[in-house]
Amino acid sequence: MDFELSPEHRMIRDTVQDFCEEEIKPIAQEVESEHRFPKEVFDQLGKLDMMGVPVSEEYGGLGGDQLMYALVTEELGRVSGGIGLSYAAHVSLGSKPIESFGTEEQKERWLTPLAQGDGMGAWALTEPGSGSDASDMDTTAVKDGDEWVLNGTKQFITNANVADSVLVKAVTDPNAGYDGISTFIIDPQNDDGFAVTTVWDKMGLNCSPTCEIALDDVRVPADRLLGEAGEGWTQTMKTLEGGRISIAALSTGLAQGAYEAAHQYAQEREQFGKPISKFDAIRDKLVDMYRKTERARLLTHNAAWRYDNGKPVTKASALAKLDASEASREVAEDAVQVLGGYGYTEDFAPQRFYRDAKLMEIGEGTSEIQHLIIGRQLGL
Amino acid sequence: MMKVLVTVKEVAEVEEDFVLDGTRIDDRFLEYDLNEWDDYAIETAVQLAEAGDDVEVVSATIGPERCEETIRMALAKGVDRGIRVWDDTLASVDLLDVNAKTEIFNAIIAEEEPDLILTGVQAHDDSFGATGVSVADAAGYEWAAVVNALDLDADAGVAHVRRELEGGVEELTDVELPAVLTIQTGINEPRYASLRGIRMAQRKEIAQQTLDDLGLDEGAVESQITLTDMYEPESESDVELFEGDADAAAASLASVLREKGVGAQ
Ligand SMILES: Cc1cc2nc3c(=O)[nH]c(=O)nc-3n(C[C@H](O)[C@H](O)[C@H](O)COP(=O)(O)OP(=O)(O)OC[C@H]3O[C@@H](n4cnc5c(N)ncnc54)[C@H](O)[C@@H]3O)c2cc1C
Repeated sequence: MDFELSPEHRMIRDTVQDFCEEEIKPIAQEVESEHRFPKEVFDQLGKLDMMGVPVSEEYGGLGGDQLMYALVTEELGRVSGGIGLSYAAHVSLGSKPIESFGTEEQKERWLTPLAQGDGMGAWALTEPGSGSDASDMDTTAVKDGDEWVLNGTKQFITNANVADSVLVKAVTDPNAGYDGISTFIIDPQNDDGFAVTTVWDKMGLNCSPTCEIALDDVRVPADRLLGEAGEGWTQTMKTLEGGRISIAALSTGLAQGAYEAAHQYAQEREQFGKPISKFDAIRDKLVDMYRKTERARLLTHNAAWRYDNGKPVTKASALAKLDASEASREVAEDAVQVLGGYGYTEDFAPQRFYRDAKLMEIGEGTSEIQHLIIGRQLGL
Repeated sequence: MMKVLVTVKEVAEVEEDFVLDGTRIDDRFLEYDLNEWDDYAIETAVQLAEAGDDVEVVSATIGPERCEETIRMALAKGVDRGIRVWDDTLASVDLLDVNAKTEIFNAIIAEEEPDLILTGVQAHDDSFGATGVSVADAAGYEWAAVVNALDLDADAGVAHVRRELEGGVEELTDVELPAVLTIQTGINEPRYASLRGIRMAQRKEIAQQTLDDLGLDEGAVESQITLTDMYEPESESDVELFEGDADAAAASLASVLREKGVGAQ
């Protein structure tokens, strides 16, 4: 049993932390208030080799493991949930499936630019009529000669309006149930019939674009099918097992950022002649915030470790995601409370962490769905 | 082929609240990081390597095993290999003075024969600010201290430098190689190590050398300087807020400045 990070992992975490402190933290509230996707930040992340951390070097990635990826994602979350979310969606959802399920040609054409930081990835599963029950989708892909023709609407798709590729799930065999779903690589810049119809204003995470997209007779060649026809659902399950670890890491980062803000403030703010950290009520709150953050991190690292060691990870990643997302919302709420009236203003970060944290209990499977998954794993 | 040697140091930073223990500060209150000036020296060296055809950059440090991670950060940014000098004798020394450092670096220079040596102007912790020039003197190299701009003409063997002197005065001068330049902060913008750089740095060599390996003995690190006391300097700060409109505020500011002697002939 070894709880120490390797020197390499530590150096990577520390470097990313420095970068986030210097380059992202100062603009985190600004891009949020402006509802602006900070492309320049992602260009910098690309230069630092952060955009393909768990993608193999052969395709322009860093060749790191899931733990390394979790560390990087946590550091982004610690300063900006929105940047962290767009990052995690790009890596776990937009890039990794191409590496796992794509042909050699598909990897070279579509994965390499994403991993090198020359483009953003996106992944479109959810629809207006199907969220938790995602396989009940209406989007279809019909074979026409050598081509596929896609029709449908996808909802809440992160990065869709800034993406260079979108992995779209569609029904290719309406009679085959789970086995009738397939994944297609769509080029939003060049494929006719693809349109972003809405970019949502949200409770938080507003520097991360969340889009509704319409597919209207989008015609793509056969080589845009990812893996085999009918594999779309099993691919989805595998993708989310990894994705949930990154949402857990992102949540841990939000909790850490909120905890640190409260920890510092509580020692500086004086009431009744002493720092508020000296009041039992505030101290206990901070201790609990610390406890929850540490717990979230341990569960996240455990899930990442299992993933890296080829062990079953369904239960561990769902548990980490469930726990860390709750922890981040609770810790962020407590951070607002510790800062009192100032915590409720945009001049201080806790309100932003609070808004951002709420999504973590919804995206990539709601907490209710995580309970369902874990319950099933526990034989219930 | 050109060889650049960069001396680097891991320095201790004291946390806001700390307790003194005689002439020591307990490890609990210390955080270690790369000396700020050295970061600029590393960047200077790496930029030279990127601009030149065949430039090897070697870093040298004196320090315990703990500082390998800090040194490896230099390797991650593009330094080719590192040398780290340490042994039991060095571990037992209370205060490593400029002479001792000079002897050690001089021995490394004799072995490596670099064309250019870059050091920080000073170290953030003990701030002697003398090592670079002292090393140049001992090695018989030319030098320029507090360099804030560098234009190297490797073929001609000349470094055109700008030096920062006291009171905002700057000097342009040429230094013939081989030379030591002590690098001032602000000469460039140190890069972040790329993650690929960090991964590659894990496989780069940091060769450990003892005093013995360098042909030195205990005498090299004996010092005439002893640390006699350590205390927190008392500091005082004062604020004066100017009220009223711009005219009134400007008048009050002018009288305060006059009182403090600003602008006095
Ligand atoms: C900011 C943001 C980014 C997103 N990014 C993406 C993306 O990049 N790609 C993508 O495909 N999707 C994305 N999503 C969609 C997200 O994954 C879905 O919103 C989520 O899965 C929930 O689906 P839903 O919104 O339809 O809610 P519903 O499924 O309608 O759920 C409503 C409520 O019912 C509960 N519920 C549903 N079924 C059950 C059940 N069986 N048992 C108990 N409770 C149940 C849910 O837990 C929830 O509380 C994003 C969403 C947001 C808000």
